[in-house]
Amino acid sequence: MTAGDRNSARQAMERVMGSDRVSNDVAGHRIADATPEVVVFPESVEELRLLMAEANQSGLAVAPWGGGTRTELGNAISRLDVVADLSRLNSLIEHNPADLTCTVQAGIQVAALQGVLAKQGQFLAVDPPLPGRATIGGTLATGVTGPLKSQLDHPRDLVIGMKVVQADGNLVKSGGQVVKNVTGYDMARLHIGGLGTLGVIAEVSFKLTPLPAGEATVVATFATGREALDAGLSITRSQILPLALTALDSEVNKRADLVPASDSYNLAVRLGGRPLTLKRMVAETSELARESSANTVETLDDAAAKTLWRRIADFGWDDRPAPVMAARASVLPSMVPELVESVGRSAASSDLRTAVVSHPGFGSVLIFWFAEDEGPSDDACLDALSRARDASHTAEGRMVVDRCPSGVKSQLDVWDEVGEPESIMRQMKAQYDPKRTLNPGRFVGGI
Amino acid sequence: MEAFVDNSSALIDELKAIVGDMYVVHEPEDLIVFEYDGSVDKALPLAVVVPASTDEVSRVVQAASKRQVPIIARGAGTGLSGGAVAEQGGIVLPLTRMTRILEVDVENRLAVVEPGLVNLDLTNHVSKHGLYYAPDPSSQKACTIGGNVAENSGGPHCLAYGVTTNHILGLEVVLADGSVQWIGGKTRETSGYDLRGILIGSEGTLAITTKVVVRLLKQPEAVKTLLAVFEEVDDASAAVSGIIGAGIVPAALEMMDRLCLQAAEASVHAGYPEGAGAVLLVEVDGLSESVEEEAAEIERVCQAYRPIEIRSATDAAERERLWAGRKGVLGALGRLAPNYYLVDGTIPRTKLVEVLAEIGRISERSGLPIANLLHAGDGNLHPSILFDERNPGETQRVLEVGGEILKLCVDVGGVLSGEHGIGLEKQQYMHLMFTEEDLAAMDKLKPAFATNGMFNPGKIFPTGASCFDGFQAGAIARTGAGAYV
Repeated sequence: MTAGDRNSARQAMERVMGSDRVSNDVAGHRIADATPEVVVFPESVEELRLLMAEANQSGLAVAPWGGGTRTELGNAISRLDVVADLSRLNSLIEHNPADLTCTVQAGIQVAALQGVLAKQGQFLAVDPPLPGRATIGGTLATGVTGPLKSQLDHPRDLVIGMKVVQADGNLVKSGGQVVKNVTGYDMARLHIGGLGTLGVIAEVSFKLTPLPAGEATVVATFATGREALDAGLSITRSQILPLALTALDSEVNKRADLVPASDSYNLAVRLGGRPLTLKRMVAETSELARESSANTVETLDDAAAKTLWRRIADFGWDDRPAPVMAARASVLPSMVPELVESVGRSAASSDLRTAVVSHPGFGSVLIFWFAEDEGPSDDACLDALSRARDASHTAEGRMVVDRCPSGVKSQLDVWDEVGEPESIMRQMKAQYDPKRTLNPGRFVGGI
Repeated sequence: MEAFVDNSSALIDELKAIVGDMYVVHEPEDLIVFEYDGSVDKALPLAVVVPASTDEVSRVVQAASKRQVPIIARGAGTGLSGGAVAEQGGIVLPLTRMTRILEVDVENRLAVVEPGLVNLDLTNHVSKHGLYYAPDPSSQKACTIGGNVAENSGGPHCLAYGVTTNHILGLEVVLADGSVQWIGGKTRETSGYDLRGILIGSEGTLAITTKVVVRLLKQPEAVKTLLAVFEEVDDASAAVSGIIGAGIVPAALEMMDRLCLQAAEASVHAGYPEGAGAVLLVEVDGLSESVEEEAAEIERVCQAYRPIEIRSATDAAERERLWAGRKGVLGALGRLAPNYYLVDGTIPRTKLVEVLAEIGRISERSGLPIANLLHAGDGNLHPSILFDERNPGETQRVLEVGGEILKLCVDVGGVLSGEHGIGLEKQQYMHLMFTEEDLAAMDKLKPAFATNGMFNPGKIFPTGASCFDGFQAGAIARTGAGAYV
């Protein structure tokens, strides 16, 4: 891109948005290796509309930006002129405690929202890494989830309405503010996990969950990962319905300073309920862990539990030494132990060390690769990812690469194989963003 | 669709070659049973074709596509919004021969089934493994999983457990060109756009579902049902808000008003006490400790609203008796009037008192009795307008009153349909909720799926130029004598 283009991107944005909405701080707003020409901070949905309409008309490529915690996600962006930073679109528009619903602007930080909801004894069952930075819009767009699983198990199931600014600047809504609704197509689904490639999420309405009357976290340690995972699966198959159930391998324990710090494999189970219910759940969870050969079983105090779950959710994304690569696999729950073992076996034969966080009840496995000394070669990285991906396919699932060196990114589709529906997905893009204004190239198959 | 008639005999022959002579219905007198569903609308299809396999569905779609004859996929025909009515003619395609349960994976708690499988048959089949399929529309003894997918069906127990879309992992579908694709699969996450989430609830307008991967849940170890009787509907409504406000999301939270109670009492002798103005039916399930603790809390909340009586039951037979009035109420309304028109809308739960009072005023103004049964826990209203279609002009008044109630729902922040769908019934009201741009964005899904207008045309979206003026016109025009819900 030439200096002349740069000027035109800046001029176009300043003309429609005003110069106080436009920033030069492009270095802090890179999308993987790509640097935008300009960063724009809309302060209202109307301004976001203007931004998109102008960009679309002028042929400028736009990347929506939330808290900037997952900017490496996606295939390489093919063009980038404008980053639309939504951090100023951060209002809680409405919270109706008695209805267990709320409506927020997309740029609100997850932790800020949870803080307000907690005052009314409620929460949104969404806990992405770095909630102090991650925004609601970004969390939904990237499809990132945390250990917390509500009854409905996925953030998309909690969305009851959405307003989206389309690539052409039109504002469109779907759903509503009520918890049960089949009026019209469920358009929000396109944008949850869609990485802002079909529109920019502007406002979201959610159904909320009452905070449990009480909580307890049981941590059990095991000699092997297989035992920890087997214990986890036996708990999910019992009558216990945990708020979160996560297995951590010894590498995670070491790197995140988790309690108890040892060479062991941990299973952490977060439980919630009224007193007698909670007591029973703690007892039964502990018993099932012991039956699966746990070495130790303990119930954490509230402060320790809070720290533990924060570290688990943030693992790989916080300020500690970062992994070279990160990926998330979704497979059949019963296949989780095999996938985890297979990843461990591949790592043993390479210079990379893996750390694995898994939520076996939901078939979710997060894999992080750390370099021992200097950076590994692209070939070694590609080999590790390919093996993990093959193992995910064997487990009847798939694996998305969240982070990898750019030389590796150019050699694979980070979203994995989509198969036949890719043609429908391409048609979606052609319908909703024909000029490829939004995040061009970043999505499945270079959409 | 008149133009197709000339070609129809060649098409009929081709369809017979695909599915067999027995499974193509095309004589007018035989088609009559397929001209309606559970709604007020009717239309005669060109033919009814009943395929036995995905391959047959694919070939029927190809044959129809070649001649631009639309296809209306159909389950059991229990839908309440006209979704399975062949409004523009074409082929009605019941999937009711495709009823197999192809796989039950107990370990991973999922099943792969064909779309014609009856909802309750799935639960009955997997109950031996301690599992069940959660969405339970009131028609679950008859309605099919495929129909549930098309309508994103709910049911009394979706308050805690969610609606159909929360329980479907994957779909095998046939597209308008006859190609067969898997959308989603057996895992929680799939890459790319969530086409599965788009297809569920798309009312058969984008693709035909030929296989479904469903999640199964563990049967709860304990269930408790409470029946709380109040003098006034306002007290019952306030108790609903009180229960939710106390941090309890019961498995089910149902409500009936005085008129419903009178009908139910006369019909199933539910034994409601004298002076009962409203009944709440609350069900909690889970661990036995949790059930007892939540039930105690619910009872405490209800006590604050001067109940006449609170009954509770944990054993199955006794719980069934508490449910009897609720389950029998629709049939029982027939005792109060020859016809009723069941309206479906959702409002914020906190607006129950206000909206029920306004519905009362609408009833008084119109002179038409309205019985209210509600999935109160999620604000899903089912006002039933009682009438006699033999009275001249009364049907039209009923539809106007239905429209007035829907407008009221939207005005208080609610929506046009909680669980019945838009279909033909409510397409003219869509402008109450959505702008032209909103609807245009939705309509783009059709070219994205390359439907070419083949699947269930004329549904969901408003038709005609001035849909808003006199929005009931379409519904009234289509309404003949006969099948009210």
